[in-house]
Amino acid sequence: MYVGQAIRRREDDRFLLGRGSYVEDITLDDPIAHAAFVRSPHAHAAVTRVDAARAAAMPGVLAVLTGEDWTRAGNGEAEGVWPVKDMSGADARTVNRPFICVDGTVRCVGEIVAMVVAEDRHQAQDAAEAIEVDYEEKPANTLTARALDADTPLVHPAHGTNEVLVTEHGLKEETEAALAKAHHVTEVVVPTNRVTAASIEPRCYMGHHDTVNDRYTVWTTNQAPHIVRRYFTKSLNIPEHKLRVIAPDVGGGFGMKLYHYPEEALVLWGAIVSGRPVRWVGTRSECLLGDTHARDHHTVGRMGFDAEGRILGVKFETLGAFGAYESQWNASITNAYHFTMLSLAYDIPAIHTTVRAVYTNATPVDAYRGAGRPETVYQVERLIENGAHEMGIDPLELRARNLIPPEKFPYQTAIGITYDSGDPPALVEKARALANYDALRAEQAALRAEGQWMGIGICAFFDMAGAGPVKMMNDLGAKIGCYDVASVRVHPDGRITVFAGSHSHGQGHETTWSQIAADRLGCNIEHIDLVEGDTDRVPMGIGTWGSRSLSTAGMAVYTAADRVVAKSKRMAAHMLECAPEDLDLADGEFTVKGTDRKLSFAAVANASYHSGDRPPDLEIGLEETSFFDPADCTYPSAVHLCVVLVDPETCAVTLRDYWAVDDVGTVINPMVLEGQVHGGLAQGIGQALMEECAYDPESGQYLAGTFMDYAVPHAEDVPSFGLDSHFTRALGNPLGAKGAGESGTIGAPACVCNGVIDALWHLGVRQVTQPMTPKKIWRAIEDAQRAQQ
Amino acid sequence: MYPFTYHRPDSLDEARARLAASEDGRPLAGGMSLMPTMRFRLASCADLVDLNAIEELAGIERRNGQIRIGAMTRHAAVAASPEVGEAIPALAALAASIGDVQVRNRGTIGGSICFADPAADYPAGVLGLGATVNTDRRAVAADDFFTGLYETALEDGELVTSVDFPIPERAGWAKLGNQASRFAVVAVMVSLAGGAARVAVTGARTHVFRAAEMEAALAANFAAEALDGIAMPSEGLNEDLHADRDYRAHLVGVMAKRAVRDALAR
Amino acid sequence: MAQVSVSFTVNGREVTATVDPRTLLVHFLREELKLTGTHVGCDTSQCGACTVHLDGRPAKSCALLAVQLEGCAITTIEGVAGADGMHPMQSAFKEHHGLQCGFCTPGMVMMGIDIASRHDAPSEETIRSELEGNLCRCTGYHNIVRSIAAGAQSMRG
Repeated sequence: MYVGQAIRRREDDRFLLGRGSYVEDITLDDPIAHAAFVRSPHAHAAVTRVDAARAAAMPGVLAVLTGEDWTRAGNGEAEGVWPVKDMSGADARTVNRPFICVDGTVRCVGEIVAMVVAEDRHQAQDAAEAIEVDYEEKPANTLTARALDADTPLVHPAHGTNEVLVTEHGLKEETEAALAKAHHVTEVVVPTNRVTAASIEPRCYMGHHDTVNDRYTVWTTNQAPHIVRRYFTKSLNIPEHKLRVIAPDVGGGFGMKLYHYPEEALVLWGAIVSGRPVRWVGTRSECLLGDTHARDHHTVGRMGFDAEGRILGVKFETLGAFGAYESQWNASITNAYHFTMLSLAYDIPAIHTTVRAVYTNATPVDAYRGAGRPETVYQVERLIENGAHEMGIDPLELRARNLIPPEKFPYQTAIGITYDSGDPPALVEKARALANYDALRAEQAALRAEGQWMGIGICAFFDMAGAGPVKMMNDLGAKIGCYDVASVRVHPDGRITVFAGSHSHGQGHETTWSQIAADRLGCNIEHIDLVEGDTDRVPMGIGTWGSRSLSTAGMAVYTAADRVVAKSKRMAAHMLECAPEDLDLADGEFTVKGTDRKLSFAAVANASYHSGDRPPDLEIGLEETSFFDPADCTYPSAVHLCVVLVDPETCAVTLRDYWAVDDVGTVINPMVLEGQVHGGLAQGIGQALMEECAYDPESGQYLAGTFMDYAVPHAEDVPSFGLDSHFTRALGNPLGAKGAGESGTIGAPACVCNGVIDALWHLGVRQVTQPMTPKKIWRAIEDAQRAQQ
Repeated sequence: MYPFTYHRPDSLDEARARLAASEDGRPLAGGMSLMPTMRFRLASCADLVDLNAIEELAGIERRNGQIRIGAMTRHAAVAASPEVGEAIPALAALAASIGDVQVRNRGTIGGSICFADPAADYPAGVLGLGATVNTDRRAVAADDFFTGLYETALEDGELVTSVDFPIPERAGWAKLGNQASRFAVVAVMVSLAGGAARVAVTGARTHVFRAAEMEAALAANFAAEALDGIAMPSEGLNEDLHADRDYRAHLVGVMAKRAVRDALAR
Repeated sequence: MAQVSVSFTVNGREVTATVDPRTLLVHFLREELKLTGTHVGCDTSQCGACTVHLDGRPAKSCALLAVQLEGCAITTIEGVAGADGMHPMQSAFKEHHGLQCGFCTPGMVMMGIDIASRHDAPSEETIRSELEGNLCRCTGYHNIVRSIAAGAQSMRG
C-alpha cells in the first residue's frame, strides 16, 4: 500500500536541480516580447487624457494599447465565477474588475491604464514612462470600516452606495433572546487585517497567437487552467476549443493565483495585436499591489454565556471588503465560506450574522488560503477568549465545556451546516497533553511574578473543504460545477498516465495522486506519471483551491482507476478463462484466486489494445475518465495551542511554541500533510503578527509595496511546530479524506492573537487589532494603563 | 533601470578621474541599496563607477590606537575581523546585524555611510564611536559627516576611502529591526572613552543623531539606570508603518539602555 | 550606452559575453545562459530566491550587474550536483520535505550549503538566523531547517 506512507516527492528532483519549469522559464522559437503597464498612481481619479503617441514611436516598441483600444477591439468584461447575489437571489451591485481602464475612472492605486509591448524589458519600461496620462483626483476611501459612513466618498456613484450586498444568516430571534437572558455578555470589535498571499513566484503570463492554425496559447501562473480558459471566452471572446491554457510549475498560489487577472488577458491581447509572443513578469511591487488582497473584514461581535460559561448565543455585524471592484470569486467568501463555519467546534444553540459587502478604493479582495474562515475563527475565538477571562474561567476549560461531543455527529450547527464527522474533545485532549497545558499555566504565573509576559493562545474550529458537491456549491452561488476530473490511461506496455483537473502548485500531486492510483491499480508507483495544468491534455478540470483537490480530483483518480481495473479484469478473465470476480490484481499481476495462474497487467494492457481475441462486448483500449462529484463537502477540524512571549520593553512578540492537532480524515502522505499544516501556520502567524496591506488613510496611497514594508515571516519569526492528529472518517468520499490545505492559516491568527491577549490581560489590555505589531501592543498597554489610573 | 556607462577602475586615482570627467557620475560600492534603487528607476546616472576592483580601498588594520576600515570592506569582513572583535566588539556586532548573510557578503561600510539611509546601522556606529571619515580629499569628523536624509558632507565626486574608529573603553550596540526589511526601527550605539559618552541613534530621524542628555547622564554614571527618567521627545521623530513617533521615542530609551547593558557585558 | 564585454566562470565553465551594462546577473544567468534555476522573487533583495555563490560565498544575483563579475566564479543551483547525483544538501531537502512549490528552493539550497560550510553542526537557532535573507511562503520553514541540519551532517560525512 502506498496510501498512508511518507513517500518522498517525485517532483522534487527537478526543483532541487534547478530544472523546474515556471512560466518565466519557458522559451519559444519566436523571440518573446515584453509587456509593461501604466498603472494609476491615485486611489480615485478621472483619467482625462492618455497620449501614447510618443511612446509608440520609441525604439523597440511593438504596440501601445489603451482602454479605448480594448473597447474598439470588442473585448469584453470579467465575469464572476462566484457572482454577487444578495439574499433575494437577485444580482447585487456588481462592478467587475476591469482588465484595463475603459470608463475614464480609476478606482484604486495600481489599476491598469495602458500597456506597452516592446522587444525587451528596458524598452517596454521606457515606453511606459513616456505615455502621458492626465488625472483629476477624486476623494477616496480605502478603509472598510468607513465604507458605509454618510460622508464617505462613493466608489461607484451610479449605485448611490458603497454597499455591494447584505446577507443575513442564522437564528435572529433566538440569538437576541439568548443574549438577553445571558449571565454574561462579551463584546469585542474584531477587524481582520488586509493581507495578501505573496507567493514567492510573482505572477507571470505569456500569450501566443498561432495565426496559421488560428490557435491561441496562454502560459499562466494559475491554479485552475480550465477555469481560466472559460473566462477568456468573456475577456477576449476566444472560444474554448481555440485556446490552450498551460499552467506549468507554479511557485505557490494560496488561492491568489485562481483568477483571470487583467495582465493575463492583456498579454494575449498584446500577442494578437503585435503578432509576437508576449510575456509579462510581475515585479514584487506590481504583485503586492495587483495580486488580490484578502480578509479585511470589520466585525463587531457579542457572545452570551450562562453562569457556567456555556455559550448561549453569538451575534455578528460584519463589513466585508470587496475593494474597488468585484474580483471573480469574492462572493464565495461573503456568501459561502465565511458565515457557514461560525459555530467552529462548539455546540452553540443560537448564531446570527449580518454581512454587508462594501466597496472601497483599494485592490480587489478575493480568496486566500482559508478564504473567510480565518476571519470566522478569529471573530468567534476572540470573543471566547475575552469571555473566559471576564468570567474567570480557564480559557481551555471554558472551551472544553462548549465542544460538540462526538455522539452528536453528524452535527447540524445553528447556522444550518451539517458536519459529517469529528471528535473535538479528543483533539482538545491531545493538544492539552502535547502542550503540557497545566505546566504552561504554572510557568505563566511564575514568569508574570518576575515581570515577564507569557501568554497561551488557543482555538478550536471546523473547516469547510472539498467543494462541491456541485448542487450545494451552485446553491451557495458558484457558477461553475465544483466536481473534478481524472483520466487514467493505461498504455499498451502497461505503464500509466494519469491526467487530473487539479493543479499542484506545491501540494505534491505527482506523488499523492500516484499513491492513490498505484494502490487502486496494484502497480508500482514508478509506472505512473501525472499530467496536470494543460487544457489540451487534461480533459476538464476545476482546479486546486479550497482544500478540495484530494476529495474531488483525488477521488476522480480513485474512481477512474477502479474503472480501469474493472475493465482490465474482464479482459484478463477472458484471457485466463475465468470470471472477472475470480481475479485479484496486485504487484502488476492478475492472479486467479486460489490458484497459481497469473497474467501480467502489461500483457492484459497490450491485449486490450492489440488483440482481436476479446469478449465481444468489450471495447478496445484501456482508459477511463471520472467526473467526480462528491456526496458532501468535507469538514476537517483542528485545535491549536501556542505560547507567546511579549517583550515588556519593546513589546515585540516571540512565538515560542506552537502545537496543532488536526483531523483531516484519511491521510494519503503524512509527510505532505505535515508540510501543508506547517506552511499554513506560518502564513496565519504572519497575519496575526506582521502582515498588512496598508494604505495611507488620507491619500489612499499603498504603503506596503515591497518586501521592505510588507512583512512576511522569516525563518526566525516562527518556531518549529508540534503536530499531532486524530482521525475520523469523512463520509462524502470513498477514501474518507477531508483535505488539509488551509487548517494552518484558518486557526493561527486566532490562536496567536489570543495568546497575546492572554499575556497582556493582567495589564488591562482587552484587544489589539491585527496584526499585533510591537507598536500597536505598546500603544494598547499605554492606553490600558492610562485607563486604569 | 535607466541606461548608463559602466566603468571599472582598479585604482583610486582612476576612479577619481572617471568621476571628475563625468557630468553625472555615481560610484558603486556594494550596491545593496543602490541596485534596488536603480531597478526602481528612483536613481540614475550617466556613468556608474564601480569601486569593487580597487584593492587599496578594502582592508582592516589596527594602528595608532585606532581601527582603520577601508571603505570597500564588506560587512562580513568587519563582523569576522579579529582586530575589530578584540578592539571594538560592539562594532563587529553591528556589522553582523546588518541585513542578511548575502548582504553582508557584498555590502560595504563606505557604501552604507555614503548612502546614508535614515535606518542604516553603520551611521550609528560611526557617530556613536566618534569615528573619522577619510576621503580622497580630507578627513571629516563623524559629527560633521551626516547632514540629512540620504545626505552627507561629501562634495561632488568625493570618495570615502576609509573610516578610523578610536578604540573606546566600552561600547555597546542594540537594535530593534523592522519586521519586513530588518532595517533598524531604532538602533543605538553607545560608547565611553576618556570620560565622555556617546549615544548615537539611527532609524529615528532623517539621519543619525546624538542624544545629548543621555550622553551627559552616562558620562556621570555609565549604567543603564542612569538613563531612567530621560525621555526622548517624540517631536520630529520618524513615523511609518512600523512605528509611530511615540513608540519610536520609547524605543530610543529602551535601545539606549540595552546598548549600555551590552557595553557593560562585553 | 556602450555594451561591455565580461568574462567569468559559471559552474566551472568559462563565459565571455558582451552585455548591456544594465543586465542583472540573474537575468544574464537565466536569459543568456538558460540557467533558469535561479529565480527572481522581489525587487529589493529581500527574498533570496536569486542566491548564487560568488567566489564561494552566497550573494543575491538580483543586486549585481553581470558586468561586475569580471574574473569571478559563479556557482548556481545547476552547478552543485556531482556527476553521481544530487549534492547532499539537495538530497536532504528531498528526504526532509524541505520544499513545496520549489520556487525559493534553489536559493535555500545555496544558503544551506553555505551554512553547512561555515558551521560545524548548525543548531536550529543558527539555521533560522542564517536564513534571514531567504523567504519561503510554503513550508513554514520547519522542514527547511530540518533539511539544512541534515544536509550539513551528511556534508561532514
